[in-house]
Amino acid sequence: MVNQKKSKVIEKGRLTELLDKLTQGYHLIAPVQAKDVSFRRVESGSEVTLDYINSVLSPKNAFFSQTETLFRFFRDDNRGFQIEPCVEADREQVIFGIRPCDARSLRLMDMVFNGQYRDSYYLDKREKTTLIGLACFEPDETCFCPTFGIDPASGEDVDILFSDIGDRYLVEASTEKGAALLDKFAGFFVEPRGDEEQLRKARKAGLARMKKLDVSAIADKMAPLYGGDYWDSIGLKCLGCGICTYLCPTCHCFDIGDVNLDEGGGRFRCWDSCMFPEFTLMASGENPRPNRKTRIQQRFFHKLKYFYDRNGELACVGCGRCIRYCPVNIDISQIIEEVASGKAGND
Amino acid sequence: MKTSSKEVQDSVKKLFEDGRISHFIGYEAGSDSLRVTPCFLKSGQTVSRLVWNPLCANNLAKYLLDLRKVEGKVGILVKGCDSRSVVELLKENQIERDRVFIVGVPCSGIVDGEKLLAVLGISPGDVVAVEDGGDAFLVTTREGKRRVRKEQVLRGECLVCRYPTPVIYDVLLGEAIPSLPWVRDDYSLVRELEELSAEEKARYWNRELSQCIRCYACRNVCPVCNCPECIFDKKAPRWLSKANDISENLVYHLIRAFHVAGKCVDCGECERACPMGIPLRRLNKKVEKDLLELFGYTAGIDVEQQPPLTKYQVGDLDEFL
Amino acid sequence: MTENIYLPRMATIQSMRPETIDITTFRVTIDGSDETERFEYKSGQFAEVSVPGVGEAPISISSSPARPGAIEFSIRRVGELTNALHELKPGDKIGIRGPFGNFFPLEEMEGRNLLIIGGGIGLAPLRSVILNVFDNRAKYGKIDIIYGARSPQDLVFTSEYEEWRKVDNTRLCLTVDRGDEKWQGNVGLVPTFLKELHPSPENTTSITCGPPIMIKFVIEALNEMGFPSEHIVTTLERRMKCGVGKCGRCNIGSKYVCLDGPVFTLKQLKEIPSD
Repeated sequence: MVNQKKSKVIEKGRLTELLDKLTQGYHLIAPVQAKDVSFRRVESGSEVTLDYINSVLSPKNAFFSQTETLFRFFRDDNRGFQIEPCVEADREQVIFGIRPCDARSLRLMDMVFNGQYRDSYYLDKREKTTLIGLACFEPDETCFCPTFGIDPASGEDVDILFSDIGDRYLVEASTEKGAALLDKFAGFFVEPRGDEEQLRKARKAGLARMKKLDVSAIADKMAPLYGGDYWDSIGLKCLGCGICTYLCPTCHCFDIGDVNLDEGGGRFRCWDSCMFPEFTLMASGENPRPNRKTRIQQRFFHKLKYFYDRNGELACVGCGRCIRYCPVNIDISQIIEEVASGKAGND
Repeated sequence: MKTSSKEVQDSVKKLFEDGRISHFIGYEAGSDSLRVTPCFLKSGQTVSRLVWNPLCANNLAKYLLDLRKVEGKVGILVKGCDSRSVVELLKENQIERDRVFIVGVPCSGIVDGEKLLAVLGISPGDVVAVEDGGDAFLVTTREGKRRVRKEQVLRGECLVCRYPTPVIYDVLLGEAIPSLPWVRDDYSLVRELEELSAEEKARYWNRELSQCIRCYACRNVCPVCNCPECIFDKKAPRWLSKANDISENLVYHLIRAFHVAGKCVDCGECERACPMGIPLRRLNKKVEKDLLELFGYTAGIDVEQQPPLTKYQVGDLDEFL
Repeated sequence: MTENIYLPRMATIQSMRPETIDITTFRVTIDGSDETERFEYKSGQFAEVSVPGVGEAPISISSSPARPGAIEFSIRRVGELTNALHELKPGDKIGIRGPFGNFFPLEEMEGRNLLIIGGGIGLAPLRSVILNVFDNRAKYGKIDIIYGARSPQDLVFTSEYEEWRKVDNTRLCLTVDRGDEKWQGNVGLVPTFLKELHPSPENTTSITCGPPIMIKFVIEALNEMGFPSEHIVTTLERRMKCGVGKCGRCNIGSKYVCLDGPVFTLKQLKEIPSD
């Protein structure tokens, strides 16, 4: 039995060195500063930035790439073809710096990719990944993860949680996988000095101001709004682009396509979006969701009702990305508030 | 920005009362104090929602396309750049002149929220309001009022804007602004790139466009991207693979740049919408510069003037034939 | 290593039987000994059929599991993949994943009369039911098949009608939207023809498949005739890709058509959104 509660400490000065070490045995995916911060595979600890609230793209890419080859095929002389599956998860990977909201989103994605049919592309990577979370003490204005019962400073959905408490990080493993990793790199970690809990508490003070919306009966409150004119102005305003779905850590829809070359080719899957007209367009030319109103309605119903009805969880973690990046300021937190308070009535 | 929200509200209220419009497209306060959001009105009773301030970045002309089928006239609030998009829509017969009522508003620049926060060293929650103060923006923060020189925090397109006053309107609210004092070289961004070698250019654009996630926000926000079925959405034949890689991304952006050539008015919406921060204006600005140098053409000025790339003249260059 | 749900199994086209100008029935075996027999499916299920390099599409199975040896798909040329399939020849290889989706509740229907209503290519999954119940004839009461297409040339499985009509206590009623000089049968839309025939709802389950607009009016007619919603069984058509409830495009309400459908009773349909 692992003592999962046992805390360790790492001095800030040693973090880069630890990350360097991690790149030797693992694929290390960590926040990198480009124009904005994004999670990328890094070759050394010095590439990693720690100055970010959250990344533009969620780390879902590490499990569910925007484009992923499912298999390659080669034609044979017998009018047939040989299929060779592509498996990307050839090595253990570590994601360093994932925020608690994004870590929770993986738990929601698991519900989709697991089940009666197991999606090995996603699940193999998930199994081979150790999540090192970074507690969030200075969230963005658009963040509202407490709405979904997420504590931005907690390690509930990660294997190890790092909390920045000034000159050092408090390090806690919350799973056996996490504890094993800490053991492997035990040389980097020292015993706590004793004031860590107090320092963390002080840093958490600001979190109390975070937006926490009432979603207790949101799925039921959504039901009567289906097809209503509440969605008219939202649909009119919506540009029908894929920003909200592509940036969303819980959106998981994809398309499957083929590549055709002389000697063979391959089949890939790539992100797709319910905001795009062709998402539901059938070969017959019929489209059950023919306009932006029905498409944006689908997005919000899926997040706030359908996913809940099927899986018992709302498909939003309050990361705020769709709010920050929507060019026309469609704001899911505002919609939740209006639905919850009854302001979203059909007039 | 001498025009106030109140002036816009009063003017729109009167238009509804006089039965001159049945719909109005403007701006209203957004979900936080650094954002506004498009606002659609069907009566004069709700005009108090309308705002006009230095955050009103959206080019609302795009929405005229969605309201083509409604009864009555559609009123729209336009800045200089937006009015030039309206001119382009009129040129293409996408909209009818007598079905729209254009409320023009002279604009002396829109603030870039991110630049503003960086210059002031504050976070979004600290901002209460942003107002126009002539050569500076007056920012009300939780800590008090601050003045920021406009040149430091303007959106990129506003730094090179030659048309602060709408070029077409039915009514103009406020006094026309002949020019903006900070506008000097329109094409410095383009010149920087023009000086690079072909390999360096390729490296630059490969790096930028490899970040593209193909969310199509740049296309969907663009008023002159208005094909009923975009070539990139067509399924049979599929001209562009949905797989995200640099070659497909390059095809997408280059074809789009050529499709909007001579119609793009540098409203900057593509770059503003892009979540990945790709400098799309640089691409469009290059095409704009070439059209100016080769044909003396500027988009969005005159409804009668056709884009040079879609017009045939007997004297056209044909050395390549 | 878990089983890879996206890898197709290689299959060989044994024969191609043209049904109409744009519909062909493909008879297919899965490569490898016993593989075809191990492809255990039920009437109403579909498979993801693919041509490597072109793509993949969900196609309902038109053969009966009670007649093993090969799997049949009756496919209309409508898109890129179905066009490519029509260009193939017997002996060519295709990819198959599945079977996927739910099925017509034939066990629950035992002891009842069946009213099978099809339109156009919608007869394909119904043919699986028809052949299946013929092979288990004693388990069911009266079987009424009402089938229509745009013209006599658009009717599918015409070579089998004579055999179907010979089955005990079975009626096949055909209609076309527009007849021709040789056509002796009924002319009119399926829902209208259904009302004229006016079958009794007593101890009867209705199964219908066809174009959405036909289904809509057939359901209205069945309602009028007093069929209870739990005995009106139909299929939903949505764009699908993965076939296994992951890719999201066939989501309607809390259901995925590929997982929870494509077969639904009217009672179930009333509980999910219309899009």
